[in-house]
Amino acid sequence: MVFAVVLLLTIGCIAFVLVREAQGVPRPGGLRGRIRDRGWALLLLPVAMAAAVMAGGAHGLVPAELGIAVLAVVFVPKLAAKLVPYGVLALAVFGGMLARMYHDGFTNQVQYLFIHAGPDAWDSGAAPVLAEAGVLFVVGLWLLVRLDVPGAGPVRTLAARWLDRGRGGISAVHGLLLIPVVGLAMQLLGPGNWFGWQAVDGLDAALLDLTLATAALVLIFRSRAWAATLAAAGLLVLGGYGWLIAVFWPALPGFAYGVTDLHNDPGSAHLWGAALQGSVLLAAGLWLAPRVTRQHLAGPADLELAARARQLTQRVQTLTQTRHDAVDTASAELRRIERDLHDGAQARLVALGMSLRAAERLFATNPEAALALVSEARQTSSRALSDLRDLVRGIYPPVLADRGLADAIRALVLDTPLHTELDVDLPGDVQTPVGAAVYFAVAEALANAVAHSGARTVRIQLSHAAGLLRAQITDDGSGGADPAHGTGLAGVERRLATFDGILAVNSPPGGPTIVVIEVPCALSSAKTSSC
Amino acid sequence: MRVVIGEDLFLLREGLVRLLSAHGFEVVAAVGAAPELLAALVDEHPDVGIVDVRLPPTHTDDGLRAALQARQQIPGLPVLVLSQYVERLYARELLADQAGGVGYLLKDRVFNDDQFTGAIRTVATGGTVLDPEVIGKLLERHSRTEPLTRLTAREREVLALMAEGRSNAAIAQRLFITEKAISKHAAGIFDKLGLALSDDDNRRVLAVLAYLDS
Repeated sequence: MVFAVVLLLTIGCIAFVLVREAQGVPRPGGLRGRIRDRGWALLLLPVAMAAAVMAGGAHGLVPAELGIAVLAVVFVPKLAAKLVPYGVLALAVFGGMLARMYHDGFTNQVQYLFIHAGPDAWDSGAAPVLAEAGVLFVVGLWLLVRLDVPGAGPVRTLAARWLDRGRGGISAVHGLLLIPVVGLAMQLLGPGNWFGWQAVDGLDAALLDLTLATAALVLIFRSRAWAATLAAAGLLVLGGYGWLIAVFWPALPGFAYGVTDLHNDPGSAHLWGAALQGSVLLAAGLWLAPRVTRQHLAGPADLELAARARQLTQRVQTLTQTRHDAVDTASAELRRIERDLHDGAQARLVALGMSLRAAERLFATNPEAALALVSEARQTSSRALSDLRDLVRGIYPPVLADRGLADAIRALVLDTPLHTELDVDLPGDVQTPVGAAVYFAVAEALANAVAHSGARTVRIQLSHAAGLLRAQITDDGSGGADPAHGTGLAGVERRLATFDGILAVNSPPGGPTIVVIEVPCALSSAKTSSC
Repeated sequence: MRVVIGEDLFLLREGLVRLLSAHGFEVVAAVGAAPELLAALVDEHPDVGIVDVRLPPTHTDDGLRAALQARQQIPGLPVLVLSQYVERLYARELLADQAGGVGYLLKDRVFNDDQFTGAIRTVATGGTVLDPEVIGKLLERHSRTEPLTRLTAREREVLALMAEGRSNAAIAQRLFITEKAISKHAAGIFDKLGLALSDDDNRRVLAVLAYLDS
């Protein structure tokens, strides 16, 4: 009766809290926040109850302790919640001491949580109490960390260090460890082995062996992660069992444990043999457990990490490509500027100097010829200026520098020989390099519309929403434009890619042609006047 | 004739002062930044202001904006804007108030001092002078829908020269036809663009504006 109440209370409390937490992080001080605090605190009730019952429920301790616990849960839920892990750990320690006392001849009967323990037999004395104490110890440590009470830090550090050894995932070898575990289990399930308890014998034992072996092999080949998990659990349990035999002999009935056969020779050599086997199995279990635990614990986080890694790899590839393109474009641009200067303005300035030098010489002797040369020099300087103007426009359009993207595109529209509608919705201005890339993209699309589409009207929409600058150029021409054909749009695309921008062309035969340019960028709130 | 100069490059500013002084203009102020320019234009109220588009403090279109601001305070204040490049967008903004007395030329036009001083005088008397490069860009456009399509080729030619700030006599000389024929073409242009009879200068400005808007 008492077990059922304690069990139900415990399971109810934990389920209640976990469900509440799964619904999201509650507002501190809000109703859900208060309920969550109470939920953890409620665990104090089963702990208090177990302690009271153990100390002898007949003496009226149960109602008193429960009363105090209820008061604590109601009035100081946070403090009550913090007491829970310490309470559970105290119960575990007490369980360990109880097991030792039974072993040394303690004769009282004690209700240790779910076990009505007595001294009469090993299976109702030390071993079950010790097993339950172990479970409580693990639960206590988990609560310690989960509720973050003082003392949680070192435990968490130790656990993290232990888990850290499990990096590297589960391999086929880990799964194969299930084989010795199953072998030993088969032996222990045989007559009189498991604490003297006989599960099967004869044909049943053979059939059980066959079933277990088949199941183990299937598991190893189908899911090595679960095979390894089972192996880890088995190694720890069987290893612990070896130590139990070694420590508690001769209170235990005789049986076989691996290579140790205590039926026939309960000598100290066999006790040491059991201890050694237990140690080996425990060590293997401790080695395997963190790897397995890690695999199971870090499932979703691992997936997230892997996805993030993929994203980053992709991003690095994109950036490498676009950086490469940007460097290429920039150096091609510099070469073009150098060539234009060399063949244009520079050459004209050389001619200018030569004309002026010749005029200088002729001034005294032939003033008329000198005058003609000076006039020629003036014209040359005009042409040099004109060359420079064209060059500057190609590098950075003056209106873009003066007024920003919107006005630069307005100026572009004014110079376009087609009827062009412009629809601008930009609450701020665009950063200089992005603005230039978008400007040249729009200019290229517009030039294509003029040159190839046979359109009557063009519509340009320029807008910014959700961190994305968008320009759409629509013409009512014949369509059928192919961005792969010709280098103009490809160059524009490369230039936009430097800013993570894209260019999309939709041009079915018969039109219309729609070019969309999108670049993620923030707008400066005020008009930037200098650059 | 009293002139205010706004130009930030020292060599060019001094060159302009020398050039204009040599042609009998009186330079009342020569400044190198937009705020000073605005003050000089408003305080001195010159017969014409000669303004570089790009001026300090921001080195963008401060000069242009100062000129437009001055014309807001003193409507019709004659302004000749100089720049290393000409933009139709800026030409339109200058002409938008329809008050005339506006010029917009490339800096190289200064080389031809006769043409340049002629342009200054045209602007000072309320005329409109646009750089042939602006006009040239317009001629490249083959508009399909605007009222300008109703003009004959000859009328368009006359309108283009009108936009450059040339008088009827100058246009006649250029096109090798009589001044009377030019007047006839001009009347035809005004008519087709729907410009009612008013003073001739204003109609010329409006015609040019219609031309720019094409």
